[in-house]
This record gives sequence, structure tokens and C-alpha cells, in this order.
Amino acid sequence: MKCVEVVEQFSFYTYGEVSPEMEERIESHVAACAECAKELARHRALLEILDRREAPRSVNESALLAECRMDFRRQLAMEASAKPVGNWLDRLRSLTLFHIPMKVPVGAMALFALGWFGARFTPAQFGGVQAGLAQPMFSNVQSVQYGGSGKVQIAVDDIQRRVVTGGLEDPHIQQLLLDAMREESNPGVRVESIGILRNSADSEQVRGALIDALSHDPNAGVRLKALEGLKPYASDAAVRKTLANVLLRDDNPGVRVQAIDLLTTHHDDSIVGVLQDAMQREDDAYIRTRTRDLLQAMKASVGTY
Amino acid sequence: MHAAAGTVSAILAAPFEKNAEDRNRAGAASERAASDEAGLIRSAQRGDQDAFERLVRTYDQSVLRLAMNLLRSPDEARDVYQEAFLKVFRNLHLFRFDCSFHTWLYRIVTNVCLDHLRRRKVRKEESTVVDTPDGPVDQVTRLAEEGPGADPERQTWNRELSDGISAALENLTPRERTVFELRHYEGLRLRAIGDILGTTEEAAKNCLFRATQKMRSSLETFV
Repeated sequence: MKCVEVVEQFSFYTYGEVSPEMEERIESHVAACAECAKELARHRALLEILDRREAPRSVNESALLAECRMDFRRQLAMEASAKPVGNWLDRLRSLTLFHIPMKVPVGAMALFALGWFGARFTPAQFGGVQAGLAQPMFSNVQSVQYGGSGKVQIAVDDIQRRVVTGGLEDPHIQQLLLDAMREESNPGVRVESIGILRNSADSEQVRGALIDALSHDPNAGVRLKALEGLKPYASDAAVRKTLANVLLRDDNPGVRVQAIDLLTTHHDDSIVGVLQDAMQREDDAYIRTRTRDLLQAMKASVGTY
Repeated sequence: MHAAAGTVSAILAAPFEKNAEDRNRAGAASERAASDEAGLIRSAQRGDQDAFERLVRTYDQSVLRLAMNLLRSPDEARDVYQEAFLKVFRNLHLFRFDCSFHTWLYRIVTNVCLDHLRRRKVRKEESTVVDTPDGPVDQVTRLAEEGPGADPERQTWNRELSDGISAALENLTPRERTVFELRHYEGLRLRAIGDILGTTEEAAKNCLFRATQKMRSSLETFV
């Protein structure tokens, strides 16, 4: 290496920004060349001098920071209040995945309103059935038969609502909540039930139901809620196995991100293979980075050979 | 003999094991922090203002310090703080975890700082460095140093050096100055600086080279 080439590298060498090979070449050159050694000493002196740049101390940093925070909070409040509603498509998008608890009540309100207005504006000749039924929530007509003498026989299945109240420790309430976790038609109910039951996840039955929801629920929002409920049990073998499966198989990157984040809270060698598999098949850059970091922290190779 | 060898190797290994334990502990702590941060970001993306404020408070001190060091003006640093974090608030929904949040945030902050530096170059005003018969002087630093001090000679030397450094930094282009600030004072790797500035590591390297050459010639009398 020529002296001029070596000197050019000092700007990077002194910051540790050269390859180990280059570092070795520079060091062996400097050890043998007095002129370059002097030049390196001068460069280091420059960096040392630059370190002595005074911070602008006339400014009270903590007071300035406090002012900035206060101003920003004010500006943020203005920003939030002035925020346009946005177009309907954005709004609709914002309701996906994470806003299921909002979607369901809104949908229920819409259905209720539709029913109410429908009933008010329906012609009277269709209203005769009212008297015979004790205001069911839902009615389903199973069969219709004309009797001949002007009588009609209709078989109606009614679903009646009743309100059950009780404490979480009540086994009947717990069982209803566990059933609600499997309520296929209503992901909002599943999310709410998990939200309530997650505090009882020390019960094996509840934890099993959460694991089941995380593994099999078709709705990503429900799976995320179940995953949240399992957070305190991240060291539990069954939970870790489920998390590993989620990491490999769940089609939702948001759920996979939560799974890897939770897996990283405990190091255990049994998941090395799963993590290496995830490295092979994962497309999401963030999950790949987290997985790689975790493998490196566990001193495991990043790929499988 | 074997036992003795075992003892020796155990003694030799002990500090390394301890270091490994420390590293593991540090690694676990940083993983926990990253996981907490990811959670905060996701909550903030869902509109949780409290989570957003906590996210801001994790970084705002270092953002303010960087702005202050780059611009040497409390007013401009305050503007950078507001502009940068408002941009974060408006665009957080676009953050997809493709890079670290730190890189994404610093990309915004350095862009805002670069805008201020460029505007300043055009206007040639608002900088705290002013020309005097004795050469350029950083008023912000001077104010700090004119308090009661112990050694007047040393004070004069420090002031001259500090003014010299400020003038040398002012002599850099906004981009060179930003790269130099991030590498020398913030200690970021050139690759990270490249990511932040939306350029290659090689381009950041060239910038650093030009910056150090200029600093060297500006500060020759002090070296």
C-alpha cells in the first residue's frame, strides 16, 4: 500500500469503518512508516480537538425540552381536532383487523336501525303476526302451510334474548364466555370474551381455549387478542409450541410479529429449528430481522445447512 | 492433573462466561426494549395518543440535542422538534417496520435539519456564528463561557478553539455537516447514516472524507 492510500484511509480507520483486512494493512504500514505514523497522530489529534466542541451551554436544555414538549402537545391537540375525517375507503380500511370491537357494535346498530325503520314503514297487512309472538330477537320461518279454510299454519323458530349477570369466578359465566369464544358468526363477541377471560388464563381450561383460538380462529383480530392473553405464559411449553407454529404458519404478518416478539422474551434452545425454518420462509423484513437477532443472541446459526 | 487443568480452564473461562452472561442480559434487555417499542408503535398507529407521546418521549431528548448541535440555535432546534414530530405523527401509519424506528425517525429529523441548514445557506442569517474582526464567533457558546471562570488564559484558548470548531463546521455543506455530526458526535455507523440519509454507505463515506479533509485544513493551527 502506498503512503497516500494509507493516509486516505485514516478518516475511516480512526472510526473503525474499515474491514479487518484493511485495518491490518494500515497498521503494518504505519508500524513501518514514520511519516504515516506522524500523519495518523495528527489525524487523531484533530479528532480529539473536535471532541472538545462545547455544547451550547447557554441554553438550559431541560427547560428547552420542557418547552418543546408543551408546544408539541398543544400542536398535537390542534392537529388531532383539525384532522379531516378522510375518505370513506381509508375509514373502512382503518376498521380492518384491529377495530373489530368497533365494527360489531356499529354493525349491530345498523341492523337494529334497519329493523326499526323496516317495521315502522312496512305495510299493515304484514304486521298481523306481531300479536302471536312474544317479541323475539330473531325469527326464522321453517315451514308454511295453507289449511284451506282461510287459515295458514307457519312454523317459526324464535330466538329469545336473556341477560345473564354474574362474577367471573362463577363457573356458569365462565362456561358461557368459553362458549362465546367459539361463537362462529361473531368475531366481535369472540374478541370481547377473550378480553374478559384473559385475566383468568391461569385456569388450564381458559389457557387451552386461548391456545385454541390463537391456533384456529379464522379472524386475525381474535388471534391477536388470544396472543395478548397468553403473554404472561410465554415460558409455558405448550404456549411456546403454539407461538412457534403461529410464526411458521399464520398468514397474517401482524400476528406473526406479535408471536416472534413474544418468543424473544424467553430464550430456549428448543425453538432454534423453528426460528431457522422461519428464516427460510419469512417474507416480512421486520420478522426476519427479529428472528435473525434472536438466533444470533442464542448463538445459533441463522440458516440450516 | 486433570482436576488442576479443569480448575485453570474454569478460572480462565470465568471472566468470559461472566461477559457472556452480561451480553445475554444486555441482549435480553434490548430485545425487551425493542418489543416494547414495537408495541408502542403499533398502539400509536391504531390512534393511541398516549402511546404516541411515550414514543416521542423515548427519543425527543436526543432529537433536540442533535438539532441543537447541528443548528446551534435554540429557536431553530425548537422548530425542528415540532416539524419532525408532527411529520412522525402524520406519517406513522406508513411505518412498516422495514427498518428500525430509530432510522426512520432520524431520516425525518435529519431531513428537517438539512432543510434548515440549506435555507440558512441561502439566507446567510440566523446562525449563531457571526463574523467579528477576530474571525467568526459562535455566540451561543460564547455566552456560556463568559461566566466566572478560573483561568482566563485557558478560557481564551477554549473560546478560540470552540469558535474555530464552529467556524470549521459552518464551512461544511449541509450534507457533509450532517454526516460528520452523525458519525463523530452521535457515533452512528456509516451504513446507518447512509440508511438515514437515503443514500449508500459509500456516498456517506465520501461525505465523511470530504468533511474531515475540510475540518483538518480549517483547524490546522490547533492540531
